[in-house]
Amino acid sequence: MKGTRLILGVLVSIVLIATTMGACKTTPAIDPGKTPFKIGMTNPVTGVAAEKGAPMAAANLDAIEYINNELGGVDGHKIEVLALDDGYDAAKAVTMVKRFIDEDYLFFTTASSGMMTAMMESANRDAFPGIVAFSAPNLTQPPQHIYGQTPDYGDDWTAFANYYMKNIWKGSGKPKMALHLLNNSTGAGAKKAAQAKAAELGIELVDIKEHAATTSSEIASLTEIKAKNIDVLYISSTPAPTAVIIKNAKELGMYPGITIASGHAGITKALVDLAGADVVEGVYGVYPTVQWGENVPGMAKMTEYVRKNHPQYEGNADYIVSWAQSLIAAEILRLALKNAGTDKLTPQIVEEQGFKKLKNYDVGGLHGPVTYTAGDNRLSKSVRVLQVQSGKIVPITGWIEAPLITYAK
Amino acid sequence: MDLPAGTRNYSYADDMTIFRTRTQKLMLVGLFIMLLAIPLWMNRTWLGLVNLMGITIIAATGLNILTGYCGQLSIGHAGFIAVGAYTSAVLTSRLEMPFLVGLLGGGVLAGLVGVIFGIPSLRVKGFYLAISTIAAFFIIIWVITHWDSVTGGFMGMSVPLASIGPIVFKSEESQFFLIMGITVLCIFFAKNLARTRVGRAFVAIRDNDLAAEVMGINLFRYKLTAFFIGCFMAGIAGSLRAHYTGFLSYEFFTLTDSILFIGIIIIGGLGTTLGPILGVVFIKLLDHLLTHWLVPLIEGKHILPAGFASGITPMVFGLAIILFLILEPRGIAHRWQLFKASYRLWPFSY
Amino acid sequence: MAELLQYVITGITVGLVYSLIALGFVLVWKSTGVANLALGQIVLLSSWITYTMLVRAGLPLWLGFVVVIIFGVFLGWVVERLILRPLIAQPILSLITVTLGLAYFIQGIVVFFWPISVAALPRLFPIEPVRIGPAVVSQQYLWAAIISLALFALLSLFFRYSRMGIAMRATADDQRAVQACGIPVTRIFSRSWMFACVLAAVGGVLMSSIGGVTYGLVETGLKSFSVVILGGLDSFLGAIIGGPIIGLAENLGDGYLSRLIAWQGIKEIIPFVIIIIVMFIRPYGLFGEERIERI
Repeated sequence: MKGTRLILGVLVSIVLIATTMGACKTTPAIDPGKTPFKIGMTNPVTGVAAEKGAPMAAANLDAIEYINNELGGVDGHKIEVLALDDGYDAAKAVTMVKRFIDEDYLFFTTASSGMMTAMMESANRDAFPGIVAFSAPNLTQPPQHIYGQTPDYGDDWTAFANYYMKNIWKGSGKPKMALHLLNNSTGAGAKKAAQAKAAELGIELVDIKEHAATTSSEIASLTEIKAKNIDVLYISSTPAPTAVIIKNAKELGMYPGITIASGHAGITKALVDLAGADVVEGVYGVYPTVQWGENVPGMAKMTEYVRKNHPQYEGNADYIVSWAQSLIAAEILRLALKNAGTDKLTPQIVEEQGFKKLKNYDVGGLHGPVTYTAGDNRLSKSVRVLQVQSGKIVPITGWIEAPLITYAK
Repeated sequence: MDLPAGTRNYSYADDMTIFRTRTQKLMLVGLFIMLLAIPLWMNRTWLGLVNLMGITIIAATGLNILTGYCGQLSIGHAGFIAVGAYTSAVLTSRLEMPFLVGLLGGGVLAGLVGVIFGIPSLRVKGFYLAISTIAAFFIIIWVITHWDSVTGGFMGMSVPLASIGPIVFKSEESQFFLIMGITVLCIFFAKNLARTRVGRAFVAIRDNDLAAEVMGINLFRYKLTAFFIGCFMAGIAGSLRAHYTGFLSYEFFTLTDSILFIGIIIIGGLGTTLGPILGVVFIKLLDHLLTHWLVPLIEGKHILPAGFASGITPMVFGLAIILFLILEPRGIAHRWQLFKASYRLWPFSY
Repeated sequence: MAELLQYVITGITVGLVYSLIALGFVLVWKSTGVANLALGQIVLLSSWITYTMLVRAGLPLWLGFVVVIIFGVFLGWVVERLILRPLIAQPILSLITVTLGLAYFIQGIVVFFWPISVAALPRLFPIEPVRIGPAVVSQQYLWAAIISLALFALLSLFFRYSRMGIAMRATADDQRAVQACGIPVTRIFSRSWMFACVLAAVGGVLMSSIGGVTYGLVETGLKSFSVVILGGLDSFLGAIIGGPIIGLAENLGDGYLSRLIAWQGIKEIIPFVIIIIVMFIRPYGLFGEERIERI
């Protein structure tokens, strides 16, 4: 009995302490000079997507720290961030976007397309603009108040298909392509784009296979694909299943021999580690940001901060995306401040004078140029084609723009 | 023990009455007034949390009827919620039916799917049933993700706002009234169900199904009834959630949620009406405070290991479930009863 | 024909890996009557420990594995002593749900200590596949299958001939009678959890050497439930035969059934459909004892 009381007491006091801390936190930090700009950020730091969410949250905050400490915020205005963990839980994500709207945040950013689908309805109803790092067509079409930071999985496919037809395919007739897709929107995005555009690009889609994130053998599905004598296998998935597929393709003697390419969710260092450098040699991929250690202006500061605050994330590809996301957020605020001529910003002003005025912002070279085009809510539309060469993922092209595909509703 | 001071049971009707004294009735009225006044003073963040709590209470109450009263363990509850959510969404957005049709349709279809997957319960119990409900969950999600033309597949589908006649539930406040109204109805239904023949049959099945059968309780009928009611409520909760969020994706329904529902009713108190309410409030509040306050507080400083923020929530929940099972298997509801009893007798509690 | 052979060989080897994890479940069920739903999480945790030992700490393979085995023993002891023992003689509902709580807790631990979420183990077996006629099978699977069969043989002998094994079987049958015979029931419980966690650790090492250390291991744990349901909860033979059947069904289904059905990804739900079918037809499984417990 005593133990019970103790435990219950402890649990209750956790709640109480947390409440008090919560109450203390709500008083805004008073800045004697200029009004701070408040933006909300959510990342799936916990839950099934923590693998991506944790480094992304860290990157978001590190970049804001950099902007505030070294760049003096946005023309002297501090950027105040409330960073929350959506836990890849839709219900939580909805309460979070409501909180942002409620507490007068200017806009919000998030990492995953999955959570953005949950939040977008609330955001759109209140005309509250938001940026999602990994986009999907259903978020930006029809264009409302949600903006995609990087090209979506369908854009990946289109960009690669264009590159393949121009530079790799040397045979006669139509190349035969098979898709191997993860059973979620990562796979579905590529599938939709392929089905919409393959014929137009002169590619014959011979097979579409689906796998789970937990797969440990794709021998059966690859045996079937092998029988169709394909020229190119396109995988839109995360690193672990992509590694399994490529390993199995090698065991079956399919690869090398065909071209294998991966969407941006799969072509990371983890893929090389998981499959082994000798297995994935020569695999192509597309990616919306630069790689670590490349010589671009924005690299030095990012490397400095990651080493200082989160050394374990150095080399993590998602970190770059979210670092860039914070830089874009600051750029949007800067534009809004400049164009609106007032520092009393509202979400509407930020959207009209900030988001929609983005033009060729280069994000320190970290990813493709960021431009808003009317009717297209994808902010950056470019990817680069990469290839695994002696265990390293190296870019083999410059920024390739993926054209807007309008999907039938 | 449960009787208010100064009352005696003179008839069976007395014994069955929920609200015995004038004080109790006044307190009930007071509670309703407090509930209705919530939107007046709460900001939208907290109101949103209360709305989610309401929806979760409905689902947890359903699970409590199935697991707490009838003893049929289900770890596929999120799957049944998904059935309700998608049915309601399809009925209202693709077939353009009114919201109430979607709500009930979602409930009924979820109930029927529950009955289908509940059929094995006649032959198996415990672990077997737990696994077959997990299987049900995966099969339901697979159907949802692959029935592209109806559910939107992996891309999800958008859902119109709830509306009854000319009233459109758009603002957080109006949604609060809709959700809270239905939640209160469900709670009263559950409370009353427990006192009927059906409810007592459920408890008999839970306590000893063989004895129950010998006494003339039709196991087949009652178990399936329990599945229907439990999953019907899950469906209602799903429908409300679909219209509340405005968008549906299969990713909103996870096995982890199903496990959390079990945790909620255990922490709250199995087989009591109050249990799911207390459990939901406890878990949701804890979760909200951890994610909205504690984690951002820690994230800002780089003092703790990177995984701290991510790991703390599941650890606390898991620990809460384990500790409650070991130390207080009857949940917070039981603690509340004890508190009431000691409060009534205070200071002469002997 | 070559295709069929390929599907069959892949199915059997993959299935034997499921069997390996299922054996750990059967072991606990057989001797303590507890359904361990945290199996997948225990597999995941052991894999991360392996990763830490082999990659982070850079231990040599053999030493790393010894440490992982010791960890398995320790984990089993802790789980039994702190979580299951206070619940002896509690209703089955509590016993099942407490393992769910444990599952949740371990998930938190894993995220807490290994926020990177995906990692690769060093390659344990050569990459060159083994050729069987026109079909190929990777060495990883082949070795996993062999280890799985060896452990099965070992466990069967243990339960049949060793004093401890017989005592474990007796405990599952009737705890009170066993106690009356002077067998320390709690020690039996403790031992069986230790063995089970070691099995999970071995399974984790093999699984993660194939597909990497990822959260997916938890769902592989779930798949192994279909193996035990099919084979019978208390039968090692059931687990070792159920695994390949599930593996075959998955691979043949993926190979042939998916041509007939427009919906892709049928492989993922085949184990779960099998569960439902078994529930309707033969709930105690192929080799299980015909005794259904009650809540």
